[in-house]
Amino acid sequence: MAWRRADQIDSATAPPARTGGASLSPADATYLASLAPPAPTTYHRLNPLTKAAAATVATLAAFILGGYIGPLTILVVGVLPAAFAAGILLKLGRFALLISLPVAVSVALVSVFTRAGETVLFVIGPFDATLEGVDFAGQIMVRLIVVAMALGLFGLTTDPRALVVDLEHRGMPPRVAFAAAATLETIPAMIDRATTIQAAQRARGLDTEGSLRARLRGVMPLIGPVILSSLTEVEERSLALEVRAFGRPGRRDLLWSLPDSSRQRFVRWLLLVVLVAVIAARVTGSMPAFL
Amino acid sequence: MIDLRELAFVYPDGTRAIDGVDLSIGRGEVVAIIGQNGSGKSTLVKHLNGLLRPTEGAVLLEGEPTLGRRVANLAARVGLVFQDPDRQIFAGRVRAEVSFGPRNLGLRGPELDAAVDEALLAVGLADAAGANPYDLGYSRRKLLALASVLAMGTPVIVLDEPTTGQDSAGITRIQGIVASLASAGRTVIAISHDMRFVAETFRRVVVMRAGRVVLDGSPAEVFGEDSWPALASTYLEPPLAARVGARLGLGSTPTEASLVEALVAARG
Amino acid sequence: MLELRGVAYRYPGYARSVLQDLDIAIDRHEIVGLVGPNEAGKSTLCLVAAGLAPASIGGTLTGSVLMDGKPIAGLPVHELAAWVGLVFQDPNTQRSGVTGTVFEEVALGSVNLGRPVAETVARTRSSLATLRIEHLADRDPMRLSGGQAQLVAIASILAMEPRLFILDEPTAQLDPEGTRLVGQALRRLAATGTALLIAEHKTDLLDGLCTRIIALDGGRVVLDGPADTALESDGLTGIGIQPPARVRLARAIKASGLRVPDELEQVAAGDRSA
Repeated sequence: MAWRRADQIDSATAPPARTGGASLSPADATYLASLAPPAPTTYHRLNPLTKAAAATVATLAAFILGGYIGPLTILVVGVLPAAFAAGILLKLGRFALLISLPVAVSVALVSVFTRAGETVLFVIGPFDATLEGVDFAGQIMVRLIVVAMALGLFGLTTDPRALVVDLEHRGMPPRVAFAAAATLETIPAMIDRATTIQAAQRARGLDTEGSLRARLRGVMPLIGPVILSSLTEVEERSLALEVRAFGRPGRRDLLWSLPDSSRQRFVRWLLLVVLVAVIAARVTGSMPAFL
Repeated sequence: MIDLRELAFVYPDGTRAIDGVDLSIGRGEVVAIIGQNGSGKSTLVKHLNGLLRPTEGAVLLEGEPTLGRRVANLAARVGLVFQDPDRQIFAGRVRAEVSFGPRNLGLRGPELDAAVDEALLAVGLADAAGANPYDLGYSRRKLLALASVLAMGTPVIVLDEPTTGQDSAGITRIQGIVASLASAGRTVIAISHDMRFVAETFRRVVVMRAGRVVLDGSPAEVFGEDSWPALASTYLEPPLAARVGARLGLGSTPTEASLVEALVAARG
Repeated sequence: MLELRGVAYRYPGYARSVLQDLDIAIDRHEIVGLVGPNEAGKSTLCLVAAGLAPASIGGTLTGSVLMDGKPIAGLPVHELAAWVGLVFQDPNTQRSGVTGTVFEEVALGSVNLGRPVAETVARTRSSLATLRIEHLADRDPMRLSGGQAQLVAIASILAMEPRLFILDEPTAQLDPEGTRLVGQALRRLAATGTALLIAEHKTDLLDGLCTRIIALDGGRVVLDGPADTALESDGLTGIGIQPPARVRLARAIKASGLRVPDELEQVAAGDRSA
């Protein structure tokens, strides 16, 4: 019986066809466009700069406007409809609560009891809970929620790769993009390495399940190899990047880009104008009293 | 010595890395585990010293379940040498590195020194006892990692890819070490990608694919023609000697020596 | 095309020279296998030939390295990247981590060189086709087997169309299937006419692929000749290199006074063309 591998059906000996010419065929153009990260809704498909502008203006305005009505208006008129359009209303709500709740609770505790005020609502030990304190805490919480949702809306509808590509199209040097992504890449690799190193030391009797003192003593045999192998990997990784010409100065002709439109540009300018108006109103004291 | 009963293991991400393995390894056996990456080999051996715990089934060591026993405790019975020495070596001197394991097991004084000396001698690093491990080349650092586990004197010793990255001299030395461990009655289990090393050094070969054992026997059985369909299904290739012997109708000749023997016998 | 004249190299902070007085010339279309025991200087030679040593990693180089007659000393690596490609042994550290598909990963080198998109696409398609990995184009580069990841790394360098393609132990961290895939890829690379320099322990991989073998030991060239004779020479075993399986088997058979059966060569040849 002759030896045969399971996959020994390697047909096609013809040499590969070259796509010639200096211009991109329509088929190729479509393919390249498909490489962009998927964007399920119109809101997702907005240019990252537009989404970033919306998040920034919403956040800043929420802080500048006083009271409750201002931030809540931003939420109801701006953030929530956008989140609904993007189909992530519930997800965003969960995310915002998760992020803002711990901070909000601690802020609330502190300000309810320590804010100077006259109307005392109840007393716990030496601490007075004042109406003014509750009001202050309430305003902080509202702002926190608006900010969390505005930033979350941006984060959840924008793929990091898409953002970086768009920034590069707008003139950011390629090295910045690569540095940011390369840093992210190092962390999971380091965790993986640390896990292996710990396993190897445990296999030699290092006790990580025993007393606290034993565990502390166990840290030394981990640090050295983790650092050393991390450094080695960083060096290997950077050499591998260099041979792919990552260090080359000058612009790159990227494979895909994110669409922008004059309408979106107009909206961005409009948002900027609104922000400036709000700041001016606050600064000059001509803000209506309820805001 | 080692009993795996209906063992299954599922990683947190849902990968079923071991899918029902029944395996028994007796005291003093010399076993190689082969298979492609992802077949479950490394996952399997990590159950032997408790680094991983079964999702289903049981692992018994010397008749006792490993359940409830700490890794540091099991390490006294099962030594495991990892593939990458640089993910282990931390001491500034070879001697200190080798002492780490036995010291964790409670050895002190002359007993400890003796264990370390013996291990260094076995791997050929006796003259480098005072050296910095990173002044040694990669092959010798791999031998150092091996020595640091040998010194623990465990009845079972598991080697993960002992010959990867080793040059010819290193491979020969490792073959010698496996042989002397076997003659000292210790149980040796090795994971390897090197079919020739496996055929020449081990008396039993276990082939894994997709979390299961697909073949289990002597090198002659596992690399013989009857096993070829199973081997092919896991994209492993028998050593050249086995294929030449089969082509010549000489039966199963997994090693050079057995092929030569068969040729001589055919002639005579 | 590539020339090393009297090259010696010392890593930064080390007293000892890893490479000593090397004189090597590699022409277009040559497929050179580089063998030697560990620490012989194979990896260092690869780094020097690619211009990474000393430009990126520092150290001291004496002698000269010339590409098409011009010295590369002082040239930044990204300029050399269009001429010389280098693939390392670790598939993980060669993944850029910034691309979402294999297509983009393979195109990355060409994009970095500032090539126009249409040209990048043509080169990428060609590279994927040469290595027969078009079916991987839409896959996530982070979710490939080691062998597949190495193929993507090779394709990515190939898309930069280097004149000299260097591979430093490309199969060292791969399983048998991965090794087979890379061996196949090397054959296809060789067929493109690019000059190759492959450092490897696995002489079986170099057998039938290389036109020439250079053996290094202690930073010096101890053997340099046509592959068929070099792989069968006793000089290799002398410096601790395992010759290909067919050579070892043939020797063992001859040593017992028997004739080497033709079948041995047939089976081994079948391996080489697989």
